[in-house]
Amino acid sequence: MATNDKLIQVQHLKKYYNKGALKALDDVSVDINKGDVMVVIGPSGSGKSTLLRSLNLLEIPTDGQILFHGIDITKKSFVNKQGKTEKVDINLHRQKMGMVFQHFNLFPHKTILDNMILAPMKVLGQSKEAATEKALSLLKRVGLEDRAHAYPIQLSGGQKQRIAIVRAMMMEPEVMLFDEPTSALDPEMVGEVLEVMKELARGGMTMVVVTHEMGFAREVGNRVLFMAYGKLVEQGTPAEIFGDPKSPRLQDFLKKVL
Amino acid sequence: MLTVEGFKTAFGYWQMFLEGMICTVSLSAFTVLFGFILALVLALMRLADIRPFRFLDNTQGGESREGFAGSLSRFRPLNFIASVYVEVFRATPMMVQLFIVYYILLAGIKLPTFKLFGLIRFERFVPGVIALSLNSAAYLSEIIRSGIQSIDGGQTEAARSLGLSQAQNMRYIVLPQAIKNILPAIANEFVTIIKESSICWTIGVQEIMSAVNSVKSATFTIGEALIIAACVYFCLTFPTSKIIEHFERKMRRGDKR
Repeated sequence: MATNDKLIQVQHLKKYYNKGALKALDDVSVDINKGDVMVVIGPSGSGKSTLLRSLNLLEIPTDGQILFHGIDITKKSFVNKQGKTEKVDINLHRQKMGMVFQHFNLFPHKTILDNMILAPMKVLGQSKEAATEKALSLLKRVGLEDRAHAYPIQLSGGQKQRIAIVRAMMMEPEVMLFDEPTSALDPEMVGEVLEVMKELARGGMTMVVVTHEMGFAREVGNRVLFMAYGKLVEQGTPAEIFGDPKSPRLQDFLKKVL
Repeated sequence: MLTVEGFKTAFGYWQMFLEGMICTVSLSAFTVLFGFILALVLALMRLADIRPFRFLDNTQGGESREGFAGSLSRFRPLNFIASVYVEVFRATPMMVQLFIVYYILLAGIKLPTFKLFGLIRFERFVPGVIALSLNSAAYLSEIIRSGIQSIDGGQTEAARSLGLSQAQNMRYIVLPQAIKNILPAIANEFVTIIKESSICWTIGVQEIMSAVNSVKSATFTIGEALIIAACVYFCLTFPTSKIIEHFERKMRRGDKR
């Protein structure tokens, strides 16, 4: 499914805290191709989430570049094809990168439907009718069409996360970023969320998934990154990473989690 | 001593109390409006992360430069101005602020002398509204700021990741939730404004307290007039807090299962 069409290029990305005493990201470079389902694994504090959150600049990197469609979004401006300097509009890039958070971050003061149609209406200028129609069809796909007028607090964790996924889908993003989407869920709800993610992957969506679900990584991922201490230690196909780990750090990690 | 006779005398001036009440309500309403707008601006200024000298901090890796250049690079002028404003207005008496506005700030400005709604002297009313608004904005802005800061950062992250601008995030996501959280505190402040507006009689605004004063001068009846004034104030403040309580309940819909 993966092509060699580079969607996001991360180059020498660094994120330092406390005057460089803590290196959350230490010179990470990786390309994300269109259609990739890239799963990022590693112990906590290894920089997985920081890497993911840097992709849409929720985290401002200390140094390095993130090219999205060849445009460095960490800079304030870029030179377009006509040779003119244009401003980098981060809101525009974020629209194309859907994000799903560990704690769902649904808007509690809005109904499920309003959660979903807000951004399409205010950012893309869609009509309420068009956005609502789309929202209802997406809700149907995840089996929650009867909850359109409920408030987030009335939903279970698994339902909330499924809503968070379709809310991001409303913007028709080119890539979906998942930041430990199942870590805050009760065990019996993990499956329903992973199922939605698998369906997305089958539909050809480019995905970057930070997760502790090794089963998902093995089954759905086409590339797996292993991070530790802010460094990208090893990467490869799921078969390579899980079947034939090279670095001692990865071997040690897998021994503990599998 | 309070006597029935005294109340009868005071009630004879009911029209003055009524006009005073209309004046108090107008004072408070305009103050709430202007005070709230100014407070919102002040709160956003206090939270604004605009650092014009940031370029002085050319060190890498989130390191902050030491010394004067480092301090200057972290200087947030909007925050500074708003903080000074809040501190000054919270640390000086309301009456001093009112007199400064009336006798100094607006001394050289000739305000048109007409009667608002046919009964409120405009040239006295305006300084009152300005002083009350400036004062309440200081308190309200701190309430609003704490309200905004109480909203989980994940809300902003989710909004921004959907492509909403910072302004849209404020308007649609953060402020509605923040206002809901701080409504009780805001209700308190609105009630305070109604009560504090009584100070405006000292610059000749004919509100409720000035009615008391007129009754006193004309009939030497003070106690009864004060009791009536207290009742009128209560009739204004109590419904105000009840109305806001109603809105609070309405806005809490998203909190209930």
